[in-house]
Amino acid sequence: MTTLEQNLSDLGIDVAALLEQQLLSHFIDVPILPDVATRVLQLSNDPDSDASTLAKLIQSDQTLAGHVMRIANSAAYTPNASMVSLQQAVARLGMQLISEIAIAASVNSKLFKAPGYEKRIEEIWLHALSSAFWGKEIARASRQNVEASFLCGLLHTIGRPAVLQCIADLEQKHEAQLSEEENRLLEDHFHIQFGLEIVNNWEMPKIVCEAIRHYRNYQESPRPEQSMVVHAASKAAKAMIWPDEYSMEQLAEEGVFADLNLYSDEVEKLIAQSEKVKAEVEAMRL
Amino acid sequence: MSHYDVIVIGSGPAGQKSSVQAAKAGKKVALIEQDKSLGGACVHRGTIPSKTLRENALRVKKMRENAALCNFELAEDLELSTLIDRLSRVLQAHDNFMVHQIERNHIDRIHGRARFLSPTSLEVVNVKGETQTLSAEHIVIASGSIPRQPDNIPIDHENIFDSDSILSMLYLPQSLTVLGGGVIASEYASIFQALGVKVTMIDRYPRPLGFMDEDLVEKFVGSFSEMGGTWIGEKVVESVEWDGLSQVITRCSDGTEVRSSKLLCAAGRVANVAGLDIEKAGLSLNEYGNIPVDDMLQTVVPSVYAAGDVIGPPSLASASMEQGRRASCNALGLEVGPMSKMIPSGIYGIPELSSVGLTEQQAAKEHGDILVGKASFEEISRGQINGIRDGVLKIICDAQGRKILGVQIVGEGATELIHIGQMAMLADQPVDIFVESIFNYPTLAEAYRVAALAVIGKRNANRDRY
Repeated sequence: MTTLEQNLSDLGIDVAALLEQQLLSHFIDVPILPDVATRVLQLSNDPDSDASTLAKLIQSDQTLAGHVMRIANSAAYTPNASMVSLQQAVARLGMQLISEIAIAASVNSKLFKAPGYEKRIEEIWLHALSSAFWGKEIARASRQNVEASFLCGLLHTIGRPAVLQCIADLEQKHEAQLSEEENRLLEDHFHIQFGLEIVNNWEMPKIVCEAIRHYRNYQESPRPEQSMVVHAASKAAKAMIWPDEYSMEQLAEEGVFADLNLYSDEVEKLIAQSEKVKAEVEAMRL
Repeated sequence: MSHYDVIVIGSGPAGQKSSVQAAKAGKKVALIEQDKSLGGACVHRGTIPSKTLRENALRVKKMRENAALCNFELAEDLELSTLIDRLSRVLQAHDNFMVHQIERNHIDRIHGRARFLSPTSLEVVNVKGETQTLSAEHIVIASGSIPRQPDNIPIDHENIFDSDSILSMLYLPQSLTVLGGGVIASEYASIFQALGVKVTMIDRYPRPLGFMDEDLVEKFVGSFSEMGGTWIGEKVVESVEWDGLSQVITRCSDGTEVRSSKLLCAAGRVANVAGLDIEKAGLSLNEYGNIPVDDMLQTVVPSVYAAGDVIGPPSLASASMEQGRRASCNALGLEVGPMSKMIPSGIYGIPELSSVGLTEQQAAKEHGDILVGKASFEEISRGQINGIRDGVLKIICDAQGRKILGVQIVGEGATELIHIGQMAMLADQPVDIFVESIFNYPTLAEAYRVAALAVIGKRNANRDRY
């Protein structure tokens, strides 16, 4: 029995086995939040809305951003390129085409439907977007690529909503419900594998795949500095959203900053960006 | 407190040579570097990465020029790392070499940031916040330079870059605005243009590289324009902003507006002294923001010397190395010969430019009548063979057409070729040496002979006239 199984109920073990099967099937749905899909369609039908509003919406949501980047990176649009940011996609394809891609993604993707998990989904959304903005600040301070750090931060937990949707589907099928603790265990255990499966299927740029695979064990990454940025961004987002659980003081002590060659005054300056990041995240709320 | 004979702050070209020289003199030496790796901005953010990119840009340019041979087309949005593919190997080799050299010479390498406590002591804080205090008979400041950030350019290292962050770009943008007309601006502008990025250079002066010979600059601008680049001179940039979507907008005071995917601000570099607390050593910066030194590279404080970019022009890696070596020699009382005033400058643009001695304009101003001989690479066999046809070599001589006052070269190989002229000038040889000597054939060095013959021809014509 694995460590994970030791902490799960019988139902939890069954669900874990089904999640494993799901991974083996190589087909994982990445559902879009219904509110996000609705907003995309509203904006595209609103003659008064400008391109930047839709661009902002795409950037604010990890699943929508993921779907848009997946289509923009597909052979149909960019046969030889590997795009790492929305601005690159806009510069390359134009906002008109990006709008069409966003509409197609909203209409064709499965909508997130997991009653009872709304709060957790909101948390995942908030953490992903906060990680994206922190990624930019940390990359700026450590002279890593800022543009890609946003997408890497945004997508590094793309597996979480997919795991959650699978769990919700399985619970519905079995007409039973897992405890919140078990849910979290399964989500934590499977999200990286799910995330990797998703981005590999989507043929996303290597830098995004590496962000998911190595953000926890950045020393093993082929681009350790970029993975360090995502690691630090994920921690910073956690400290900003759940300060009672993990404080900014604890964040400042993290070894990843020394690994990024950031000195204590630079770390302090970074942490002082907290309000700015919070405001940026708030501005992106639907 | 650890005590040393010499402490060197910074491991760039000046710091490296300074520490090695002091160690070779048998002294106990510490080398303090704030980055994880040795080498400074020159190795990690400037000279070496940009030259590595340049090599690939040249290959791309050549393949484009020989489209009939290979039907070559560069992929759009190509990852920049593909174009600096050899960089990690180049840097690793450099790092290994430096680490071995430092170890071999028993130099204590200290990773941290230094700040002065007094003219002979420093506090070093490492990246984990641990401190140590060091003292030394002599301290050499070789902390280099950082890009200047004009107040009206909001550099975000995402869309608006400086020269230290431009190579953090992951992919080749569709277009790039380059602000500035100096060495860094010209090098990057021509390299990116050769890679197929639509580059617009904007500067307040009528032409870039104002300190270089006008003929050379004209050739450079012509070649840049031929590749598809745009030079916009005599424009004052008022503001730069990111449109929030995909474009950087540059607005000039006359209403000109330029839009591009990315922007590089190359508005010069300033001494990197923040955090050094130089005032605690009794030092202050001069009006140009540099640490003033005398001919011995000694500051106003007898125990403190400075070398490299931190003391201001010429800010060339080549000169910095020699300054670093001399700073240690001078501090330790070792005898050194006079430092040559004749420092060649090399601009690693596409094409390359290089200069030693006076430009034609400077020579005319200083000497009145002068004789100038030119050789176009087009008339040199090796130029034809290698497809290097857009090069020119100029020899500037005094009115008698004998003494060489300067050599100016534009074209591939210029930065290597210049040394022939430099050695002739250092040896105070007349221009005739290029005609009387035998060079390998076919080589671009033949251009010296052609240009020298042109000078001699004018000299003889003048003689016949009188």
